[in-house]
Amino acid sequence: MRRFAGVGAAACAVGAAALLPTVTQSNYLIGIAVSACLFTVAAASLNLVYGYTGLLSFAQLAFWGIGGYCAALTVATFGGNFWQGLLLAAGLNGALALAVGYPALRLNRHAFVIVSLSFALLANLIARDWTELTRGPLGIPGLPAPTLFGFAFRGTATFYYLALTYAMLALGLLYAIASSQIGVTLRAIKQNEILAQSQGISGLGYKLLAFTVGAVLTAVAGGIFVFHLTIVDPLILDFYYMQTFLIMVIIGGAGSFWGVVVAGVLMSALPELLRFSADLRMVLYGAILVAAVLVMPDGVAGWLRRRRVERLRAALQ
Amino acid sequence: MTALLALEHVTKSYSGVRAVDDVSLAVARHGITGLIGPNGSGKSTTIDCLSGFQALDRGRVVLDGVEITGWAPHRIARAGLIRTFQTVRVYDALSVLDNLKLAAQQAAPGGWLDALLRTRRHGAADRAAAARARELLALIGLARHEAVPAAILSYGQKKLLALAAALMPRPKLVVLDEPVAGVNPTRIREVETVIRQLHAAGETFLIVEHNVDFIMNLCDRVIVFDQGRTLMDGTPAEVRKDPRVLEAYLGAGA
Repeated sequence: MRRFAGVGAAACAVGAAALLPTVTQSNYLIGIAVSACLFTVAAASLNLVYGYTGLLSFAQLAFWGIGGYCAALTVATFGGNFWQGLLLAAGLNGALALAVGYPALRLNRHAFVIVSLSFALLANLIARDWTELTRGPLGIPGLPAPTLFGFAFRGTATFYYLALTYAMLALGLLYAIASSQIGVTLRAIKQNEILAQSQGISGLGYKLLAFTVGAVLTAVAGGIFVFHLTIVDPLILDFYYMQTFLIMVIIGGAGSFWGVVVAGVLMSALPELLRFSADLRMVLYGAILVAAVLVMPDGVAGWLRRRRVERLRAALQ
Repeated sequence: MTALLALEHVTKSYSGVRAVDDVSLAVARHGITGLIGPNGSGKSTTIDCLSGFQALDRGRVVLDGVEITGWAPHRIARAGLIRTFQTVRVYDALSVLDNLKLAAQQAAPGGWLDALLRTRRHGAADRAAAARARELLALIGLARHEAVPAAILSYGQKKLLALAAALMPRPKLVVLDEPVAGVNPTRIREVETVIRQLHAAGETFLIVEHNVDFIMNLCDRVIVFDQGRTLMDGTPAEVRKDPRVLEAYLGAGA
């Protein structure tokens, strides 16, 4: 029964999202919705790596940015099209995730955080300083609208359907992984890796899988995002994005698929909703975050889960 | 009959202190072997060494004719040696049933793609694991609690859950590290009954325990450790009578 309710709710949400451009003509609002789609994919990918597997990975920012550069460079420099750019973003970042992850995931969790942070900083440095390739701080402006069989995704509303379609595919894959035995195993490794090892489960293989899937999906989201902005520059590797993804995961509840998806959508809109007060906007945003973390340290989903456990415990006694 | 598990001249030191000093021992197939000894006599280090959680300085470990010295813990587990832990380890946030299903996962056929696509092979393995899990849950008296998160179980129930998890993949050898430490006397008899039933069903156990009565009741063979060495190896009756054992446990003059 609960399962059907969940499927129904998800179908309604997708339907509502698909109808958004018919409800509003505002490019500003639809633009926020494009960001919401792509940020939610990045947050849900980080959730797989951090929430499920317990790996605090700042490398997600690097994959997001490198994905953006791959897509932009393919079109602006290598003479390819948008789709080939996304393919390069997926392939290169998948390979990078394996190359960085294989040695880094053998370290303990704290050392892994430092390696992932260094990787993100290195990506930022390359974007700024390898000017022959990336054009440095000036970036690559004027990215054209993607086309498919002669149809151009021009205009925010059209582009929105592209972003929404990708978000559905990526979130669908993430949901399939999270709800399968693989997701259960990832949570087990996060909770007690020594116990998992004693049961014949190799932590490294599963961690590498989560890290690589998270990298590929985030990279493609980054690639689509720069075409929404129509420019890529080193700001795509700004910590603002990492912070945004991490906030979505923490507020939604690390390890909860739906918690993070809902938080991804809401937290994309929240900074815009607070625009009524330009001066106090970031102060209010910060205050809401602090309050949320104080009241619900494990996010909304964690808060709900704890209530359920308390009820069960009471029933048992 | 050859031994199921053999340790040959195993030595392990921590910063100059020999925790395990040239220990050789054998665990017979289908037996319940007990391993006792005072605190710091090297029992836990021995378990860590034979399950791959600590590297040996010297010596060999042979499981069912295959040398497993230096293997990673997960590989030793897949080879059929499953251990439990002194400080009870369960997956707190997972349901009791998922705790057990996970423990059998590596023994099941199928890989990531089977799990992701929910293939027929995965479904069959999943149902088999659930059936085995329910059998064991009935045995340990937790059948009613299969859907609750393991976090809400009592300490003694978690100990039983960890024991059941160790048996999920039908291992060749189950190594229990202090299965009744901190467990109340009623529950200790429960654990004893469960182990007897599983033994009758053909399982082989190696049990490390501080509770001497528990070991003497249950085991057909007892090995006594003192200061990293084997002090005595015999039947419970022989061990009970041995003056060296009394001395090691109770001190000189006891």
